[in-house]
Amino acid sequence: MHCTVYNSRNPDMPASSIRLQRVACALVGLLYLLPTVMSATDWSAPAEQLAHKIVAVTGPGAVSLEFTNRSSLAKTDFEEVRRQVLTHAAALGLRFVKADQAAATVQVSVSENIASYVWVAEIHLGNNESSVVMISLPHPETANISRESAPLTIHKTLLWAQEDRILDAAVLEGSPAHLVVLDPDRATLYRFQDSRWQMEQALPIKHSRPWPRDLRGRLFVRKDHLFDAYLPGVYCQSTITAPLGLNCRDSDDPWPLGSEQNSLNAFFSPARNFFTGALTPGIGKQTTAPAFYSAAALPREKYTLWLLATVSGQVHLLDGVTDQTAGRLGWGSDLASVHTGCGSGWQILATRSGDVSADSVRAFEMADREPAPVSQALDFDGSITALWADSGGSGAMVVSHNSESGKYEAYRLTLTCGQ
Amino acid sequence: MRRIVLPLLVASSLVWAAVSSAATRPRYGGTLHVAIRAAPASLDPADPVQANSTAAQNISRLVFDTLVILDDRGQAQPALASSWQSEPGGQRWQFMLRTGVKFHNGSAFTPDTVAASLRASNPTWKVFPATDSVIIECDAAVPDFPAELALPRNAIAKRDGNKLFGTGPFAIADWQPGKKLTLTSRDEYWGGRPFVDSIEIEMGKSLREQMISLDLGKADLVEVAPEQAHRAAAEGRQVESSAPVELMALVFSRERQSPEDGKPREALALSLDRSSLNTVLLQGGGELAGSLLPNWLTGYAFLFPTGPDLPRARELRDEAQQVPIWTLGYDPTDPVARVVAERISLNARDAGLKLQLSAANSADVRLVRIVLPSLNARVALTGVAAGLGLTPPKFTGNSVSDLYAAESTLIQSQRVIPLLHIRSSYALSAIVKDWGQDPDALWRLPEVWLGTEKP
Repeated sequence: MHCTVYNSRNPDMPASSIRLQRVACALVGLLYLLPTVMSATDWSAPAEQLAHKIVAVTGPGAVSLEFTNRSSLAKTDFEEVRRQVLTHAAALGLRFVKADQAAATVQVSVSENIASYVWVAEIHLGNNESSVVMISLPHPETANISRESAPLTIHKTLLWAQEDRILDAAVLEGSPAHLVVLDPDRATLYRFQDSRWQMEQALPIKHSRPWPRDLRGRLFVRKDHLFDAYLPGVYCQSTITAPLGLNCRDSDDPWPLGSEQNSLNAFFSPARNFFTGALTPGIGKQTTAPAFYSAAALPREKYTLWLLATVSGQVHLLDGVTDQTAGRLGWGSDLASVHTGCGSGWQILATRSGDVSADSVRAFEMADREPAPVSQALDFDGSITALWADSGGSGAMVVSHNSESGKYEAYRLTLTCGQ
Repeated sequence: MRRIVLPLLVASSLVWAAVSSAATRPRYGGTLHVAIRAAPASLDPADPVQANSTAAQNISRLVFDTLVILDDRGQAQPALASSWQSEPGGQRWQFMLRTGVKFHNGSAFTPDTVAASLRASNPTWKVFPATDSVIIECDAAVPDFPAELALPRNAIAKRDGNKLFGTGPFAIADWQPGKKLTLTSRDEYWGGRPFVDSIEIEMGKSLREQMISLDLGKADLVEVAPEQAHRAAAEGRQVESSAPVELMALVFSRERQSPEDGKPREALALSLDRSSLNTVLLQGGGELAGSLLPNWLTGYAFLFPTGPDLPRARELRDEAQQVPIWTLGYDPTDPVARVVAERISLNARDAGLKLQLSAANSADVRLVRIVLPSLNARVALTGVAAGLGLTPPKFTGNSVSDLYAAESTLIQSQRVIPLLHIRSSYALSAIVKDWGQDPDALWRLPEVWLGTEKP
């Protein structure tokens, strides 16, 4: 047996990143350049193929050639297709004249189906004969990279995009910098080299139970080894030495919430998409809370205020003694806190609730127990499927499912104040 | 500056909060109430009655899995088979089976049960169980065999006497044939537990009864006739429509006997005002069809003309030595079929042709509706041809040109006159979240979750 016909899709799109502050400027430049490079689809080969098919019917000579766009192809791309077909047809001996002077009229339609572009040429010869020739070519992988938008205080930087769901991503400082991307099947390690992330190693994640729907997972960068990965019912720890390994085992160990500065762990339901509410070591005397999707810490002078986005849709505020319910905030189910040093020092990042086709993230201050917005909402081209605080607490990782490209995109969010 | 910005931010925050109320992350739990018009007497995927019923296929996918599924581009992806390979020539295929899967009764998912299931739905196939795979031998090369296995009739079922067990995301809790089906979510489903706890499907409900159930809050998901979709939406209901996935066509009961025999058939085809059928009778619920497969599936359907040409139709009628009086059969249970048949009869009369309407099964020409059987265009064309009783299409290669040639041959046979491609429409209650359909209009209910608050 051979001729294997199914292989898992491998992400091969070059991605770009900034490596924290030091490499930010260079890579942002790269991010601006990439869309230009990647949109330059080469239409020459299929255009030549269609031109050959047309000339095989008409023979060299005078023809009239018209084009119609029946596809989702952008006008600029359509014009390029038209130019390429005309160029190749001319090279094969066609001369372009008006219909009343032509030996043949050719109507080229750029159409498409769910999998491919379909370019069709309807050819009418002078002797009332008609024929149709066509070619198909797969839709190119769309490289829809969002440029940095113009928020006042929240900055997003695209780290990685791929077809498979991204659960979390983390940048590992070092020389060279590394990026870990966690998806349902593996943690993939990329090395920053030649101005792009290049795959270094894929570490499979073994699990005995089926993953729940709306699968979630978290990477946590460690000091004594590279990172831990937490998934429902599974805990994975990377090895210390190269080549890197990932030891996974079935485990109901609690996941870390927040960042290193705010040490709190919570048990995650192995067959659902939420934390059960059991906390360890607890917030002060509080070791249980309503089941929740996410949590964010706001350190105060004498205690830490924790905000929990609960499964019921409410936000609970736990300070170690009391459990208050905030009013209707319009927040979604994902929260994270970021340490900026500005204002009260810590801000909450919250997703917007409701319409999942286009989500946004916004920053809030909690002066007392009432949130006040301190940024404009930062929009994403799709629903946000993950929001986790950086292990270091200086930023957050957002994963968005781009509704146009269908890809999952991991962004690092940072806040700058006073802008 | 700061004094100005902060109030603006607060004001926009209020808007931010007001436009939304539900959490964005999916919520587990609840019962989804569904009402449908169909009243299937069997859930067996091998039951041939299921082939042309979207409702039956939707139900089948909740309980049963196939070895392969097709993605939104019509490409085969692993399901109960984790991978596959073929020998050169494409007659012998090996499908490696996913491990850790169990049937709803707790029995193991084994090559033997898979082989038995596939033999039941395809008696002519040679299916051999191997250690961790099944091997299937076909009589001829089938390049699209994985797509063939994705058809609902090839879903894997374990038959134990009168009982049927699947491996799908929902298990049968209660089954009253033709009346009601209750399904419960499976925690151990290999593809992840569905969000809802259970689904209750009421069957045999008229479209009017369904809409009343929706309005009374007794149903969360109901069918809407394509001609009613606009109105239902205008009245404030949440209506979701698919791409055009159902072919409405005229099918002659017998082959064309001679080129002369084809002239009145061509005259009938040229007399049809498809645009009126769509805009007036179906209220824009479809698209004009000159081809069997819709353009979104092939990319070339626009090549088949759809406009009427009455002068040419009359010429052909005059050229024909014999102009028969045809009987036109239609499904009397289909609310829109009779009015469409009447309009077709009027169009034909304008060209000098006579059609007599008949609700009987036997007729010279039948008005039929057939759902697109697959997202793979070649498998779909083969399935549509089989469903209409046409000669199976012959493909000389794998290119889009070969597909076009095969479909053109079917149209040129003059056994069938495509009329419209019709959308499927559903109305949803406000608590239904993340509703989605495949491009061929099949439900994605395992992804649906129920909000607790109405917006």
